[in-house]
Amino acid sequence: MAIHERSLVEPERILRKERLVVDGVDISGDWNLIILPRVINDYDLDFAKEIVNSPDGKTINQCYQCSYCTASCPVHNYWDERYNPRHFIYLARLGMIDELQKRADVMWRCVSCHKCTHRCPKGVLVEEVLKVILRTMAKKGLIDEYPSKKFDKFFTESVVEYGRIEDGELLFGWIEKQGYKVFKDPILKKPIPFIGETPEWLKQLTMKPLKSMNIDFLILNAKHMLFHPRTKNWSKFKQVLRKVMQEEGALH
Amino acid sequence: MGVIGKRVAYYPGCSLEGAARAYDVSTRITAKELGLELDYLEDYNCCGAMESKNVTFMGTMLLNARNMSLARKQGHSVIVAPCNGCSFSLQRAEYFLETDRAVFERVNALLREGGVDPLDQIPQTYHILEWFYHEAGPQKVKEKTKKPLKGLKVANYYGCLYTRPHFYARTYAHAGGQEEGVRPRRRDTADDDEHPYYMNALLEAAGATSVEFEPMHTQCCGGPHSLSDEMVSEKFVMMILQTAKRNGADIIATECPLCHASLEMYRHRLMMKGVPDVDVPAAYFTQLLGLAFGYSASDVKLKDNLSDPIPVLKRLGLA
Repeated sequence: MAIHERSLVEPERILRKERLVVDGVDISGDWNLIILPRVINDYDLDFAKEIVNSPDGKTINQCYQCSYCTASCPVHNYWDERYNPRHFIYLARLGMIDELQKRADVMWRCVSCHKCTHRCPKGVLVEEVLKVILRTMAKKGLIDEYPSKKFDKFFTESVVEYGRIEDGELLFGWIEKQGYKVFKDPILKKPIPFIGETPEWLKQLTMKPLKSMNIDFLILNAKHMLFHPRTKNWSKFKQVLRKVMQEEGALH
Repeated sequence: MGVIGKRVAYYPGCSLEGAARAYDVSTRITAKELGLELDYLEDYNCCGAMESKNVTFMGTMLLNARNMSLARKQGHSVIVAPCNGCSFSLQRAEYFLETDRAVFERVNALLREGGVDPLDQIPQTYHILEWFYHEAGPQKVKEKTKKPLKGLKVANYYGCLYTRPHFYARTYAHAGGQEEGVRPRRRDTADDDEHPYYMNALLEAAGATSVEFEPMHTQCCGGPHSLSDEMVSEKFVMMILQTAKRNGADIIATECPLCHASLEMYRHRLMMKGVPDVDVPAAYFTQLLGLAFGYSASDVKLKDNLSDPIPVLKRLGLA
């Protein structure tokens, strides 16, 4: 496991010279590496305060940096070593926003497997805390749109609108957002799975129940795609949900 | 045994009404055979899964509190969910409602505003596997088995959120750093946290053989990023399938519709790419139990499984 604090030393601060003479003394050889000091004065302590004040992020201050979370993390171990939950918590508590921003391309990759939270010896809800860090950064406009946020919003919109989700709508809606041209029927504007420019694997998968003549399965799912399953007496509750989300600033 | 209750509120979740219909049908069959009663939660809403909680905290609490309120209205203090995502969401809400008084009061006020009865008591949520194990158990499964799953080598895949995190799933007693009052206790009925075995025990009682599957039995399948982060999900699913195949499994038994869908989807894509050792089909553990109880392949809707486990089961004379 890499020591990630090393990454806080920017490459231009490391000076390595062939011949180095200081005050007339030749110190080439073992002593020819100099790291210029880095003074950080643009840290933002309000950032950590905002995280502590949210109900799911208040355990962040219990962290004592043991790195059990990182050692457990499948994204760190099997995908990208730069994904390091302990380091993200460290940076968030110091308020080093610019360093967090440099890691924006991996920070969203958490798959919510909760190994970190489960194994934390200090009772930090690590997964929740990381999501709160991301959420707070997104709210302050410090981070660009990332794929999982787009999907989360797309999903939540569907839940708030209908009370229930529908697999077909979610799948084809997401495929469409990826830039594929999904064929829709002209009247109800609902996607038709078998034709159109959907990816090959999806086409083959949707053909499977047709090939095995699984008729009642097809009818059930077609019905759900045409008439979205809804929760009854939802409208009043929907308004409350929208109001709460407005207060949290979650609608942007 | 018999600590959870034979009659409980059943929260199927959105998936089980559509693409994962097979899980719903086979769950009902299994419950009936084991002498247990599921009371369908009328007019429920989505739990918000792993996605909504990243967008809005209070909104997700409300979604789950509404379902809890419906269960209380039907006279239940126990909810059973067959989906890892649903049981996680409900247990997460349970944790925050129990430990944070301010959240509890705010939620109750907002429920009233939304025209739903406020919570008088917070119902407990169990995963359906835990319920089957404790209310029926391997002994009962053995008694009911008419057609043992002889020769079937099963890789039992539990997924992440069945035992994790211990704050919500209550699988582990230690929670350092938290105050004494809000420290969650281990539930007596909970499965082992790092080495879950309830599914192994039930399927072995039905005559199947479990293959060695650690540590992939609780490895993530990509979960909420199945669609939004395809590269990572593909790699995780590849690791799961290859471990199962190389350990000699005929079939992977699942207990979560999201894991199941992710495994089937990426299995197909990996096979298209020509990746070796990924052709193990997946089936819900209730489907396998249903077969053992003497039901036919069409009764447990084996055709719904896109990974097509029928040839494997036919070869062993089970379907």
